[in-house]
Amino acid sequence: MNRALYINAAAVLNAAGSECADLLGTPPVPQPLAFDPQRKALALPVPRLASDLFDRKIQRSVEPQGLRLLHCAARLAPALAALQLPAARIALTAAIPEVDAPSPCWDAVQAILEQPQKQLSQLLANTPPLHALTLLNSSVMAYVAEALNCHGPMGGFCSQNNAGLDALIEACQQIAEQHADAALVVSSSPNLTPALYLREPVLADEPVYGEGAAALLLSSTPLQDATQILRVAGFARGYSADPQRTLVVGKRVIERALSEEKLCMGDVANVVANPADRQLMSLFESTPQHLRNASAMTGELGASGLLTEVAMALHHSREAGAVPGYTLLVSHGRAGHWGALLLASETLEKYA
Amino acid sequence: MSATRIVITGMGAVTGFGFEWQTLWEKMLGAEHCVRPWQPQDLHENEFPVRYAAPVDMTLLPGHLQNHPAWTRLLEKRSRFGWVVATQAVADSGLNPEQLREAAVLCASGAPQHMLADMLLTQAPDGNAPDWQHLMARATEVSAEGSLRQANDRLARVIADDLGCEGPVINISSACAGASQAIGNAFQMIRRGEVNVAVAGGADSVLNLDTMAALYLLGAASGEQRWGADLCRPFDRDRSGLIAGEGGGFVVLESLEHALARGATPYAEVLGYGSSLDAYKVTAPQPEGRGAALAMQAALDDAGLQPQQIDLINAHGTSTPLNDVAETLAIKQVFAQHKHYQALAVSANKSQFGHLIAAAGAPECIVTALACLNDLVTPTENLHEADERCDLDYCAGQAVSRRVDYALSNSFGFGGLNTSLALGKYREHGQ
Repeated sequence: MNRALYINAAAVLNAAGSECADLLGTPPVPQPLAFDPQRKALALPVPRLASDLFDRKIQRSVEPQGLRLLHCAARLAPALAALQLPAARIALTAAIPEVDAPSPCWDAVQAILEQPQKQLSQLLANTPPLHALTLLNSSVMAYVAEALNCHGPMGGFCSQNNAGLDALIEACQQIAEQHADAALVVSSSPNLTPALYLREPVLADEPVYGEGAAALLLSSTPLQDATQILRVAGFARGYSADPQRTLVVGKRVIERALSEEKLCMGDVANVVANPADRQLMSLFESTPQHLRNASAMTGELGASGLLTEVAMALHHSREAGAVPGYTLLVSHGRAGHWGALLLASETLEKYA
Repeated sequence: MSATRIVITGMGAVTGFGFEWQTLWEKMLGAEHCVRPWQPQDLHENEFPVRYAAPVDMTLLPGHLQNHPAWTRLLEKRSRFGWVVATQAVADSGLNPEQLREAAVLCASGAPQHMLADMLLTQAPDGNAPDWQHLMARATEVSAEGSLRQANDRLARVIADDLGCEGPVINISSACAGASQAIGNAFQMIRRGEVNVAVAGGADSVLNLDTMAALYLLGAASGEQRWGADLCRPFDRDRSGLIAGEGGGFVVLESLEHALARGATPYAEVLGYGSSLDAYKVTAPQPEGRGAALAMQAALDDAGLQPQQIDLINAHGTSTPLNDVAETLAIKQVFAQHKHYQALAVSANKSQFGHLIAAAGAPECIVTALACLNDLVTPTENLHEADERCDLDYCAGQAVSRRVDYALSNSFGFGGLNTSLALGKYREHGQ
């Protein structure tokens, strides 16, 4: 990359809480799902949006995953404003699952069930016009752009758990290529609906899903008073659903992420990855690092999982006594997506 | 920016005109459109207020595609179209499986579909309010081809699995700018050296009851009946809303070095990509076209082109009252200070094959590439009397033969997500 990229601020929202430090607490206990008590998950109440940033109608018309995302994005508004950048120099990238429900809205469904012979008239009469926007995760991007005044490059991604990395890479590249000077990267987990459990691939060992969101603020300059900084040092991604090929792809993705700074695994202080993923674990059998991630605290967060881990890395980098070093985050989705992100925690004197 | 050149070496398109890009091109040059009377299949009462669309006509399916596995696999309709299109684009490129091994797949496939029938499974047996728990109890009845069963990145993964692509597999979601973003991101990935080859585009099908109802309720889809099937009228004073189409488009992008090393002949060169946000209103474009202008200017800057070098703009041109004025104003913002702008050709493909929503940018990029290749500009159909605020040369009614060295292809998504691709005529020795 021809321009340094700093992660300057982060906001999270998940079952552990709304602060990164909450992720260091006691894991919450998954609760039975209302629609399927045999299954347990880490659900969240719908957050309230800041009324100074968002029109009140948004609170009513956006479904929960969008509201979680907006809640996190809003908390980055002060840090973004402090950069004092022209709106056209602020990029926005997003990792948002498509909305599974309620689409069409519950009122319309109930009306149709009551009078199935009048399907069309019930559908049209009982669906508020703006409800259609819940079909589109682009509407959530539009709300963020409007509230936080982002006019710069954009990108929307929806590749399951790799979408967060896709959004982060796009933001990094827009800054690195000088199309933007800062970027908001926003993400949300899917709503807990039957789609999570009915979609392929069918899982033998179903994870505990969680609801959550995470947002990051990236910039080409570190925060003004920062002494410890977190820099994006490399990334790579790949895909294979072929059991014979997936580890080859995973290994290649990790090597590529490390290659930007000519590192090997021995140079990495921390590895963040899902220790319950056997394929992923096999790639680290011969390395001394202890693999960990926050999923016990949050549940599986899908599109917002990686950004939540990045937020956690930022938190660690700012702790008293934090030791500079590299953190490698590796994601592997059951569908076959691989991603790796290399972060460097450094003292700012290095750049003085 | 690096000197890596990126070219289009394969194309595939499925639209209401048929299943091959050659047919699409021929019909468009002939000033035809494929909009016709349409009603949702699953409707069993009075007529749906949207009466016209540009559906894919399965009777046009050519023999060599009849055994494609897309038609029998449990997939959403949009994914069937997309898989077929991507297969055709790759076949058109002549790439072999080994050359595709590290390729990226980038795909925009729209919003979830066919929810209504599944949602009715939420009916409570005791007459109480519908609830997911009732659907879960009847899970075996949930459609295997609907979005409760099919993850949104299903199409991208099906393509990657079929072609053996192990590069990044990325599902794009930026509404009607989706396929254009997919192609733009693919272009950037090759230029940055992340991959050498990418299969990029999109597929969509909104021609079902619930999605079309949503578009109608939003005021986006036209319910006009005055003009019969000729109602997609971009820039016309009597335009009344979008006319939905279905299908998709994919292109194969590769570095020129990679293409030439295997003896491929490029169709056109992708030179730049720009995107922006309106940050205005979720339901309307910024009225002066501020965001659209930013995206076009960003594409020009990215390509290293000056506005006066552009010969053609393949407009987003939705035939909605708001878009067409805002886009015209945006074009003027970027181009009007240069003398040549009144000779700039502007063409709106949606007047011929409708609005493919998330996929729209892909066939429109293909048409733009073909314009550069052939020095021919397809017409804007049904433009009889331009809106007084729409005062550019929209190539109304018939194809235009003119030199096209450089062109932009615009796609603007709902919520003010804007993209523009800069394409150029392929020249052996660079631009």
